[in-house]
Amino acid sequence: MDLSRFNLITIATPLVLGAGVLLVMLVDLLSGRANRRPAQLAALAVVLAAAAVCLATWNTGGVSFFGQVSGDGFASFFNLIFLAVAFLVILAGPAYLERNAIHFGEYYSLVLVSVMGMAFMAAGTNLLVIFLGLETMSLALYVLAGFNPARQSSNEASLKYLLLGSFATGFLVFGIALVYGQIGSTDLARFSAYLAGAGDPFAGYMGAGVALLLIGLTFKMAVVPFHFWSPDVYDGAPTVVSAFMSAAPKAAAFAAALRIFYAPAESLGLPWERILWILAALTMTVGNLSALNQASIKRMLAYSSVAHAGYLLLGILAGNELGAAGILFYLASYVFMNVGAFTVAWMVNRRGEGRYDLGDFAQLGFRRPLLAAMMSVFMLGLIGIPPLAGFFGKLYVFTAAVQAGYVWLVVIAVLNSAVSVFYYLRVMVIMYMRENEALKDVDRIPATFAAVAACALMVILLGLIPGSVLDVARAAVASMP
Amino acid sequence: MDLLHLLNQGLFWFFVVMTVVSAIVVVFSQRVIYSAFALLFTFFGVAALYLFLAADFLAASQVLIYVGGILTLIIFGVFLTAKIYTMDIPQQTHQRYLALLPVVAMLGLLTYGLFTADWKTVTPAAEPTTKDLGQLLLTTYLVPFEVASVLLLAALIGAVRLARPMQEEDRD
Amino acid sequence: MEHEAATAAHSSLLWLIPAFPFLGMLINGLMRRRMPEKAAGILASAAMLGAFLVSLLVFLDLRALPHHGRALTQTIYTWFAVGDFHVDVSFLADPLSAVMILVVSGVGFLIHVYSIGYMKGDPGAVRYFTYLNLFAFFMLTLVLADNYLLMFVGWEGVGLCSYLLIGFWYTDYEKALAGNKAFIVNRIGDFGFILGILLMFATFGSVEYGTVFDRAAGFPYGSAVITAITLLLFLGATGKSAQLPLYVWLPDAMAGPTPVSALIHAATMVTAGVYMVARSNLLYSLAPVSLTVVAAVGAFTALFAATIGLTQFDIKKVLAYSTVSQLGYMFLGCGVAAFGAGIFHLMTHAFFKALLFLGSGSVIHAMDHYFHHAGIKSNAQDMRYMGGLRKHLPSTYWTMLVGCLAIAGIPGLSGFFSKDEILWKTFASGNYGLWIIAVITSGLTAFYMFRLLYMTFHGDFRSAKGHDHPHESPRVMTVPLMILAGLSVVGGWVGIPHVLGGGNQFEMWLEPVFERGQEIAALAHAGEHGGATELLTMLFVTLVGLSGIGLAYLFYLRQPKLPEKVAAGAGPLYGLVYNKYYVDEIYDAGVVQPLKATSNHFLWRFFDVKIVDGLVNGTARVMTEFGTGVRKIQTGQVQNYALAFAVGVVVIILAFVL
Repeated sequence: MDLSRFNLITIATPLVLGAGVLLVMLVDLLSGRANRRPAQLAALAVVLAAAAVCLATWNTGGVSFFGQVSGDGFASFFNLIFLAVAFLVILAGPAYLERNAIHFGEYYSLVLVSVMGMAFMAAGTNLLVIFLGLETMSLALYVLAGFNPARQSSNEASLKYLLLGSFATGFLVFGIALVYGQIGSTDLARFSAYLAGAGDPFAGYMGAGVALLLIGLTFKMAVVPFHFWSPDVYDGAPTVVSAFMSAAPKAAAFAAALRIFYAPAESLGLPWERILWILAALTMTVGNLSALNQASIKRMLAYSSVAHAGYLLLGILAGNELGAAGILFYLASYVFMNVGAFTVAWMVNRRGEGRYDLGDFAQLGFRRPLLAAMMSVFMLGLIGIPPLAGFFGKLYVFTAAVQAGYVWLVVIAVLNSAVSVFYYLRVMVIMYMRENEALKDVDRIPATFAAVAACALMVILLGLIPGSVLDVARAAVASMP
Repeated sequence: MDLLHLLNQGLFWFFVVMTVVSAIVVVFSQRVIYSAFALLFTFFGVAALYLFLAADFLAASQVLIYVGGILTLIIFGVFLTAKIYTMDIPQQTHQRYLALLPVVAMLGLLTYGLFTADWKTVTPAAEPTTKDLGQLLLTTYLVPFEVASVLLLAALIGAVRLARPMQEEDRD
Repeated sequence: MEHEAATAAHSSLLWLIPAFPFLGMLINGLMRRRMPEKAAGILASAAMLGAFLVSLLVFLDLRALPHHGRALTQTIYTWFAVGDFHVDVSFLADPLSAVMILVVSGVGFLIHVYSIGYMKGDPGAVRYFTYLNLFAFFMLTLVLADNYLLMFVGWEGVGLCSYLLIGFWYTDYEKALAGNKAFIVNRIGDFGFILGILLMFATFGSVEYGTVFDRAAGFPYGSAVITAITLLLFLGATGKSAQLPLYVWLPDAMAGPTPVSALIHAATMVTAGVYMVARSNLLYSLAPVSLTVVAAVGAFTALFAATIGLTQFDIKKVLAYSTVSQLGYMFLGCGVAAFGAGIFHLMTHAFFKALLFLGSGSVIHAMDHYFHHAGIKSNAQDMRYMGGLRKHLPSTYWTMLVGCLAIAGIPGLSGFFSKDEILWKTFASGNYGLWIIAVITSGLTAFYMFRLLYMTFHGDFRSAKGHDHPHESPRVMTVPLMILAGLSVVGGWVGIPHVLGGGNQFEMWLEPVFERGQEIAALAHAGEHGGATELLTMLFVTLVGLSGIGLAYLFYLRQPKLPEKVAAGAGPLYGLVYNKYYVDEIYDAGVVQPLKATSNHFLWRFFDVKIVDGLVNGTARVMTEFGTGVRKIQTGQVQNYALAFAVGVVVIILAFVL
């Protein structure tokens, strides 16, 4: 047997994560009853090790395992995003989990196993691998969403996510089956080749197949009308989990979408463009308008992340190199803004888990000026104010869409960004303008604060060197087989 | 020959009807225990249909895993839940007519596709598929196979978390 | 050849100018806990001195170049590139930015030094110097940027620092709130600014100064899109430079430490709007409507703020309104296409207003210590509790007198030349209405500045208790005052107009930057040879200024002494006339109250509250209604969600299949 077909380099990062899951469970088992710190440290070490492996094997993998996975720069880029998110939520998490008396070792192993699933989504060059990766990721998320069994809203979030998630998965598998029925393979290279070669790419069941693949992924991205779960789930889930869920899985869904649809983008034709156009416009608009008068910061951020999925769809629709690389850049900056914002949200929560009122931010501007400044960085970044990273993400994706000829859609996107100013700025207005409500002070949690600071620094840093990061993203996109 | 063909057809339709009817019972029954038992027939029916596709291994594993494993678990679960017989589980149908619209549309679409699609057909192999499957699972589909085991690991961790008592001091 | 080599060497030094304060900020910021307060101050000041010296070097380099070739650029790196659109992090030193960096780093250095004395003993001093250096970094980036986007970075950065420094004593709720007001109002302006930049990019495909101006030159005079761009940019300027209608934050911003008011809210940051308009002179010249708007807003703000300045008792508030008013002058200058005059006034104003603020800081510092020492609970910024400080704070008094004379436009001092330049250009351009407004403002300015001077330094000390009295500030504070006083005298001599036999070198120096814009605005050299008319108007304005001073003298020095003499003989009259507050009250009832009623109740209340707030809230309400409608769909029922899902699925499949 030819062993070169089993090139472990291609899946080195998820392998480290897989071993890490077991290690973390073992460490947790061996450490004392009430001491979860060893598990946290082990998880952090695993993430760092995986990141080191990811950097060491950057774009060295190539397609392997009989065309199932590709350890290219694209996979490496996304792995780094996922690992960064994992690192942040593991670093920031314990304080939150302690506060709610739900500090269990499974938090760490579930986050890691979820990231492992994402890694396969980004690396898969076969629909089966992508599907299995997606399920691994989702299964861990279902449990994480219900990680606070004492809270009904957490249970409800978990159940809702599970029900609708399974519904979506059903469609995804159905789509894969239809594609398989049409072309006799689940291999992505064959998929692109078929679409490019066919006179009518959507003849027979292929149209429905492609549609269902798209639907399965857009559910995870929280694209309208498949987004309804996200505000309820983000709102009900423990907030550390919301931070994780709003960032990494969305990135993973876009990674999978690029893997599947980037290569055959040219040959997808009019129905694809029409549908994506409508989905993007709907998603941005519904997301932004719904976010406008949310009293809960968690719901507001949930709708805001719906809106961002809409902006990101522009990059998929554009189908050009800048669009794809723009998505990579956008996600790399977006995850930091979202994780940061969610983390600040629970740090400043002063009314208990049940109420995440925007009023919690009152006076933050001068009680914790640095924390408020960082929150402002996230809000301004999410608006897309230069020179923060969020601006360049939008700039790249929108420019790509203009280049591809979707001027009107970009006009809609820009108008939407203008609408979003209202609700993002409102947080800042509250932080700096609202009167004293005699709330109790915000706890000082060094590790969590460090995580937030890291997010803010990344948002600024990515805004300072967007050109170089985009070059890396371009190379990553070009490295896809 | 004709008779065999007829028998074949008859059996096929028998299993189809059995699968669909029992599936309907699963969905519409007011009693959980009825649903659970009806599921048994659905699973069997599906397994039988696999046989018609010459998928012997799949049919066997369907029976082993679904009937032998999952279903048994469900029935045990039902039995172990106190008062489940008398408990009236609400099964109202929400938005009945609204839901009909997409359902009918979907059915129409699938039927339309069914008759227009250019299906790839293969002649069923005479010998068992087990060997081929085994080889594929360790070569071409090694990665999906292993990822599936990770998926199960995730399910395991999740189940442990959900089943475990909430309080720290209750931990064993 | 030798010369060119030297130039090249120094142009590569441009990055050092912002880098010095950045380094200072980093060191102070990272060593916050271990840094001794004094070392932090010295380090921060040294960083500013470094920036100033490099700026001087760059200035000398520029001088050595031929008149029209005076531009040095340095590209640090390509910030980002999309298609054929790319933006560099790149610095440009030309005559305009050279003036700005010299003013910012020079005045900034003096204020840093002054701060060492002012912040002595404050537990947050290290943090203060960190912010101050960070501010200088952003301000220098703003003026050195060679494109609008980088300028915007500086623009936002100085806003952030301004906010941080206004709310510096954030334990004090009022002060923190003031910081927030500045922050929010500036957001409105910045929103216009960024829209302007976006529109500019959409129109010219670039945001780099040179490219934008070259491409804009091809547009017709009065082009609608350029008018839109310039108006949007000007909206940003009204926010940053505290003009109508966004001026409201500046008086409140006085809550910050006084040196901050001097540096940020008088000498540098607030002038960023003027700099931006002057930098974009070509664009503004192409948009006559925008120029008119700039001129009108400037003139009206000048008058409006000056009238409010008449009535304030808080020494810093008077200076704050005065700053708003003087900024109005600068915009008036730019608005009549006399960009050079606007920048000239910007420079002289930086000298004398920094001086006045630092002087007031010295007074406040002294009063604060005195109150603290004497155990009096009182407001150290209220001029009603001062008086007669001339004896106790001689250095402060004499330097502030110079500042007052300069701002009042007494011939020979810096303010005279720059203000006269603006007034003459306004007159010469035929804007007689605006000219009259500006002249009235000039009289008011002289009046309220000397009111301030008299109330603070003359008469009797009104908070006397025992034999104790306020003491002069340390030399580290008074020496910067003296240097600034010197600059306030001689700073204008570089721009002595032709009619007085000067060469107006300042305008010549800036000519390469403004000449294209002024040619289009058809105002090039319009006011250069006014001859007798120019001299006449100059004389008239000077007389107006002198009468303002005279009036202040009459009201605040003559009257209270008169009753003193009468009081010796006539008992009953004593109570009526002796109390100088009577004068105040008559003055108050006759002049101030009607003015105040207009300014306070109409302009403040109605304009701010009704119009500005109403506009913002109204838009928000419409949007919110939409949001509520959309939100109704989010029922929380999984069944509903699944239905929507299924409908979506059907529609998408249909789109693909059919």
